[in-house]
Amino acid sequence: MKLVASLRSFASAIWRRSRVEDEMDEELRAHIRDRTDDLERSGISRAEAVRRARIEFGGYQRYAEECREALGTHFLETVLQDARFGLRMLRKNPGFTALAVLTLALGIAASTSIFTFVKATLLEPLPVRAGSRLVVIWVSNLKAGWNRIGPTGQDYLDWREKQLKSFEDLFLFEHGTGTVTGQGEPEQVAGLRVTTNFGDFFGIKPALGRTFRLEEASARHNLIILSYQYWQRRFGSDPSVAGRGMTLNGEPYTIIGVLPSELSTLFPGDVVVSFDNDWLKRADSDLGVFGRLRPGVSLRQAAAEMGVVMRGMGLVRPNRKDFGAVLVPVESARVEYIRPALLVLLGAVGFVLLIACANVANLMMSRAIGRQREVAVRLALGAGRGRLLRQFLAESTLLALLGGCAGVLLALWSTRLLTWYVPSRIPVPNAADRVLLPTVHMDGIALAFALCISLLTGIAFGLAPAFQSLRSNVNESLKQRERGSLPGRGGRGSGAALVLVEGALAFVLVIGAALMLQSFSRLLASKPGFRTDHLLTVRIKLPDDAKDSKYRDPWQRAAAFQRFLSGVQAVPGVESAALAELVPLTQDDMDMGYFVVKEQPPLPTGEHLAADFRDISPGYFHTMGIPLIRGRAFTDHDNRDNPRVVLIDETLARHLFPNQDPIGKHVQIPDSLRPAREIVGVVGGVRDTGFDQQPRPTIYLPSLQSPDQTMSLVVRTASLPAAILPAIKNAIWSVDRDQPVFSVRSMDEIVWEITSAQRIAFLALDVFALLALVLAAVGIYGVTSCAVGQRTHEIGIRMALGARPRDVMRMIVGQGARMALLGVVIGLIGALGLTRLMSSLLYGVSATDPATFAAVTVLLVIVACLACYVPARRAMRVHPTVALRCE
Amino acid sequence: MPDHAQILPGTLDLLILKAASLGPLHGYGILLRIGQISGQALLIEQGALYPALFRLVRQGLLKASWGTSENNRRAKFYELTSAGRNRLREEAEGWNRLVAAMASALGARPEEV
Repeated sequence: MKLVASLRSFASAIWRRSRVEDEMDEELRAHIRDRTDDLERSGISRAEAVRRARIEFGGYQRYAEECREALGTHFLETVLQDARFGLRMLRKNPGFTALAVLTLALGIAASTSIFTFVKATLLEPLPVRAGSRLVVIWVSNLKAGWNRIGPTGQDYLDWREKQLKSFEDLFLFEHGTGTVTGQGEPEQVAGLRVTTNFGDFFGIKPALGRTFRLEEASARHNLIILSYQYWQRRFGSDPSVAGRGMTLNGEPYTIIGVLPSELSTLFPGDVVVSFDNDWLKRADSDLGVFGRLRPGVSLRQAAAEMGVVMRGMGLVRPNRKDFGAVLVPVESARVEYIRPALLVLLGAVGFVLLIACANVANLMMSRAIGRQREVAVRLALGAGRGRLLRQFLAESTLLALLGGCAGVLLALWSTRLLTWYVPSRIPVPNAADRVLLPTVHMDGIALAFALCISLLTGIAFGLAPAFQSLRSNVNESLKQRERGSLPGRGGRGSGAALVLVEGALAFVLVIGAALMLQSFSRLLASKPGFRTDHLLTVRIKLPDDAKDSKYRDPWQRAAAFQRFLSGVQAVPGVESAALAELVPLTQDDMDMGYFVVKEQPPLPTGEHLAADFRDISPGYFHTMGIPLIRGRAFTDHDNRDNPRVVLIDETLARHLFPNQDPIGKHVQIPDSLRPAREIVGVVGGVRDTGFDQQPRPTIYLPSLQSPDQTMSLVVRTASLPAAILPAIKNAIWSVDRDQPVFSVRSMDEIVWEITSAQRIAFLALDVFALLALVLAAVGIYGVTSCAVGQRTHEIGIRMALGARPRDVMRMIVGQGARMALLGVVIGLIGALGLTRLMSSLLYGVSATDPATFAAVTVLLVIVACLACYVPARRAMRVHPTVALRCE
Repeated sequence: MPDHAQILPGTLDLLILKAASLGPLHGYGILLRIGQISGQALLIEQGALYPALFRLVRQGLLKASWGTSENNRRAKFYELTSAGRNRLREEAEGWNRLVAAMASALGARPEEV
């Protein structure tokens, strides 16, 4: 009730504001007039009567104010008044206002755009049912160095059979591509093959039609679901598409539904088809398994159960001996790669905001000192301290909101910049997979965030100077100013504290940026072991799934790839081309295995030699620009009719055959009937898994002796790879017009992708650090020049007493530099702790690199001295007589 | 204000209610009546009257209406509401008890203790 009543009174107060104000004024004036009349009647002069009546009434404004408060008009009234007053003050000092708004805008823009990005990537829930309970299940074999590999269809079936207690359901999928023919031009589509619980597992509500039914796994039905984008693109959003047929890889399929549009980030493909049970048993590569945890089951419990299950499976299935399972929540697996970079940025942006706040607080503080006398006069005239405090706050909040508006505009622009700069696809570490990042755009929440940040900063930097000037003793301030002497020590003290804080914050940021700069330049300078420019990669998967496939026989596959290769090699503009099972740096798949050296004594049981195995065609090393160190490379004669041979890389050579010639030795894969293979050459090492990784021991096999189903064409081009791509595709299709090609990327694109986390951190951190440095310099300059201005009188006295300009300079710069140095020391301690957090982003430089720390210290001290030097020079030029006269 | 008693905090409201209970009055009239009924003993800064009046109106103890004063000027008249009458009675009783207690306390002699 009380609330309603006060709300009503508040509302009517707004409505009747001016009328009430007028009536109140009329009433008070009537009182004074009546009193004057009475006094005049008692026999004194009119003028004297007026004077006495006024004195007897007391402070008119004060009581009017109290009346307003009693009427309930007070709050809104004062807020409006404060805002008007604040605006007036800001307009009166355009330089101050512009500087403060700009500083805040930079801080708020930086934090809002980074927040927007972090929210979109890290905080947005998955657009599926129980997204937070979904986990990716990988299998691992730590002895063999396999951290995360995709399970096989058999693993999945075994897990289902075990009826795992931790999971409500399991789901298996496979990325793949296919060719759609029949309606216009043949088209390569990307898609998923999924288990039939797809719809239920993710809680999908199809935009059209239905998803698969569980029982449809019993036989091959050739049903297909379209993604929303594909439905729009290929079928023009035709609502009658369900039930229609289409041809995929030469087989008839029936369209049963369309996925909702919000799934497009999670499933960036075009179509979804299903596994049948027979196929599931055979499936063994490029598979992914998700599990949905039961409510209340922790990741740790699930991992423990999976560990037990994997040990049991190892006893039954020899090829799963020593295997474990790795469980990672889907939500975090998707952003594992980019999260450290984003968190570092979030921290950095917080620092920038703090520095911006400190600067504006500084500005406000120096203005508050200038206004001390005004405040003292108002206090003496009976203004409430609370009211003055509110006025200061109104002014700073107004400033912050202005800064916030400018900041949001800046953020809109910089978010777009960031979106352009960040790749849409990011790798999943240690797993042969990449995910699509959600699109980033500013929304209501980001705007609310900006508003909150603005208000908080407004309050934060408004309070300090307000308290500062209100704390001062009225009498003292009035007298002091009259004498033109020093302001209260407190004002200078907090200015110095701000310099200190800014110095410390800027130091931490600049250290982070300097480390990132070094790390990134080292990363770019590090050679991956091959030439990355003018290199195009195209992946080809031979369709052996169809019953009448011409590629069932492995040797037919090898021959087919050879035909594609010859076609591509003949394309004008192609310098050279070769085939490779895996393209370096793509993390498309992993192929690691055990082997033994025939000439060396067997290792103790439980120990293995392991290396990455790579099937390549002749000409691969030439095309990639990998140096041949000794022996020979593969030729066309290294085929099925000739002795089996291998090449090894120098990492393996160094490791296995120190001070020996590896050529002529034999390697053999254990538990296989295949013959030992002679080492015929040694090639340079390749950083296969990333720029920041060391080359791994690698064994190369000729693809003509070791056929694959999926291979990549690597093409060295004379001109830009994109220009020649259509000709290359045509060359492939002139061999087999139904052959899909996919993962078409230039090596430059691949490098751009895998260095994206470091690049984002590097660029943004350096921009922020520069911003911080400039802001800190401006802050130190502001504090020093304000101090110099206030000490003009003192400096004059010193100079009149014989101080030389040099002494004055030394005093001013010395004081500023001492503060900054102290700040640097504090920053140093902070940086030692904080840079450790970014060590996962650093390459080739330690998080506590002494040289970097020393250099940044020197840099900051120089900047601080410069920021003090400019105002100090002004002080030096002060003429004693002018200074002494000045007030 | 050398020989006048300072007004005790909280007593101004009571005095205003009392003054208004004797018939509707405008602000200046209330001031005069307080002076009159207290024998000019209680003096306040005159402006302080108005915040108190406004507060009492807002609390529903007084009712304000515009009318014409004795010298034919527009003036705002204050009148006691029934809630105000009750409040005046309660406060007056409370005040009397306090005064009696204080008087007996201050009148106490050593032999009575």
